[in-house]
Amino acid sequence: MKARMFATHVALPVLAIAAVSVQANAADFDWMKFKGKTVTFLANNNPVAQALLTYKADFEKLTGMTLKVDGYQEQQMRQRLVTVMNANSDEVDVFMTLPSREGEQFAAAGWYGDLTAMAKNEVAKEYDPAGLSQALLKAATFGGKLTSMPMNLEGPIFYYRTDIFKKCGLEAPKTIKDVEAAAEKIKACDSAVTPFVSRGLKPAVAYTFSNMLHNVGGTYIANGKSNLCSAKGKEALDTYSRLLRDFGPPGVVNYSFQQISALYRGGRAAMAFESSNELRTVMEGGARLKDTGLLPFPAGEAGQVPTTIGWGMAVSSHSKQPDAAWYFVQWATSPEVQKKMALQGIAPPRPSVANDPEYRKWIDEEPVRKEWQAALDVLATKGSSEVGYPIVANPQSREFIGQAVQDLILKQKTVDQACADADKALDALIALN
Amino acid sequence: MSDTAATLTQDRQKLEMAALSAPAVIFTVAMIAFPVIYTVWLGFQTFSSTGKQSFAGLANYSKLISDYEFWHGLWITIALFVLSLVLQLVFGVWLALVLFHAKRLPGIVRSLFISPFMMPPVVAGMMWLVILDPSLGAANYILQLFGLPPSDWLASPIWVIPTVALIDSWQWTPYVALIVLGGLQSLPPSVYEAAQIDGASPFKTFQRITLPLLLPTIVTAAILRSVDLLRFFDIIYITTQGGPGNASNTLNIYGFRVGFEFFNIGYASALMLTLTAIVFGAVLAFNRLRGAVAW
Repeated sequence: MKARMFATHVALPVLAIAAVSVQANAADFDWMKFKGKTVTFLANNNPVAQALLTYKADFEKLTGMTLKVDGYQEQQMRQRLVTVMNANSDEVDVFMTLPSREGEQFAAAGWYGDLTAMAKNEVAKEYDPAGLSQALLKAATFGGKLTSMPMNLEGPIFYYRTDIFKKCGLEAPKTIKDVEAAAEKIKACDSAVTPFVSRGLKPAVAYTFSNMLHNVGGTYIANGKSNLCSAKGKEALDTYSRLLRDFGPPGVVNYSFQQISALYRGGRAAMAFESSNELRTVMEGGARLKDTGLLPFPAGEAGQVPTTIGWGMAVSSHSKQPDAAWYFVQWATSPEVQKKMALQGIAPPRPSVANDPEYRKWIDEEPVRKEWQAALDVLATKGSSEVGYPIVANPQSREFIGQAVQDLILKQKTVDQACADADKALDALIALN
Repeated sequence: MSDTAATLTQDRQKLEMAALSAPAVIFTVAMIAFPVIYTVWLGFQTFSSTGKQSFAGLANYSKLISDYEFWHGLWITIALFVLSLVLQLVFGVWLALVLFHAKRLPGIVRSLFISPFMMPPVVAGMMWLVILDPSLGAANYILQLFGLPPSDWLASPIWVIPTVALIDSWQWTPYVALIVLGGLQSLPPSVYEAAQIDGASPFKTFQRITLPLLLPTIVTAAILRSVDLLRFFDIIYITTQGGPGNASNTLNIYGFRVGFEFFNIGYASALMLTLTAIVFGAVLAFNRLRGAVAW
């Protein structure tokens, strides 16, 4: 199946209609319409929500509503959501969601409230729904229903140490082959550092591996079947696992973003392929501020097809007050709030915010921020939201991708065996779709 | 007062007692019975990936029999249980003996000895995750100081279970020691005086007197630890999430993932009820053993 190419999704009918209708409805819009109500927000305690909730009091002052925040770590948040939604409970009005991961599943289960009409009829003058990333909105649209509004834009990017590259006589890599060659050279030139690090933890692998697969020209599904054993699939599996096995840190099979950021920030990795969201963590303490270069992941045979996703805010289909819940969603994804969040390092899903003078000034303060924004611009224009298989059982599909990569890192299987086992398990999942 | 009047008064008292305790009894039964009955009911349902539910009869239980991950999870659960329990009982008894005989040990040292089990498992998991990190952790640094080769610890499919067992034993051995210490303090001194008069060596005294008399206490500690060990979850979830591969995928971790990551609540319920039956079986077996070694 073709990846959802951002560049090809420029027009979205629902938003076009919304844009036309905005002017007519904006005049009647009253932020105080639901004064006195309480909206419950199930939040993932990640940097995106943390930045947003800094302004909780502003929302309560603007609307007269009370915002009750139910915050958890990502997995625990999903666990809570599953319990609440399976019980058809109205305890949660608004929740955070990753459309690229659970969108198909939650939409098929009927857990998302339909925001189409509200995004069209209930919008403040300044909201500008058409100014949100059309591609992210498209990625959050299932069966013609708009299910969430984008909070941020993110994806894995390539962090590299300019000082080590200079010391070893290396240029910034342009292709995946350059990355391998650089890793080889760094291994010989500076044995104190880990040449390359990325995600090896089973459920986390798909996030970075998908970028590799798409860059070499591979696809997850072809003719309705899992496609990891295609030549491109095998090339991606082999290259990704070889980079981690031969040039990664010991114990990389347990590495996710926390370990990668810690290793890179501590100066013990020369190249890291990790989320754009980790910039703030990586730059904490300032040690990496002047010696880090940032790029989208270097090109493969198919060029650069970066992974681009974003957290969204959805209204629960069981909420008894979807209109009040929508007001919170609208405020949280408004240009004003997203600009404030952008100044805290949360990449905005609105081109208008990305071009805002105050934000540009913040970006221009440090060269590394400029490179970060340049990489995000590539993500926004060329990205694919396909992380794992585009099927209802997407979370489970990520397990099998991760298993194949780990089998190769640990040398427990050959590439042929690993991809064949994964394809077999994934075909069974696809059949359930 | 006539017999009839006395009987009536007694009946009334019983009725009043029953009425007064009824709310507490009903509440307790409901709190225990409802989740169990609900889980049993869920075990007979099937949920599609989209959450659509239908009656499945015994399908979830027959699926268990042919599910490789279930048998693998059961094997990992049992391996972890045996390894951890043996370590904790052996070192727990040893630590209790040390604390019992070192009567002049300052209070702060005693507190330090028993402090690990007061630490939340999540904190313990995070702490050991950092210590055992093959690149950044202190464990490999210490090994290398002594000229020993570094280990992959939690990242090795071979060493992950022994490593998790060591982490759990670090945390819970003091708890076992505390229970055994209570047992040691309650042993009759006259038996030791008799042994001393008979000229028994310290080892013979331990082997022939202390250990047999302590057995009921040790079995009690084993029961308490067994329940936790068979339901092992938090430290694995924090450190490996069942990996690398599925090398530490215990039944509890597997059930959690099936239920809350893949949304197959029906099959997850069947898995968890099976695990509950295993826990009950283990507790019953240890209870019988406790009866056999009681004195």
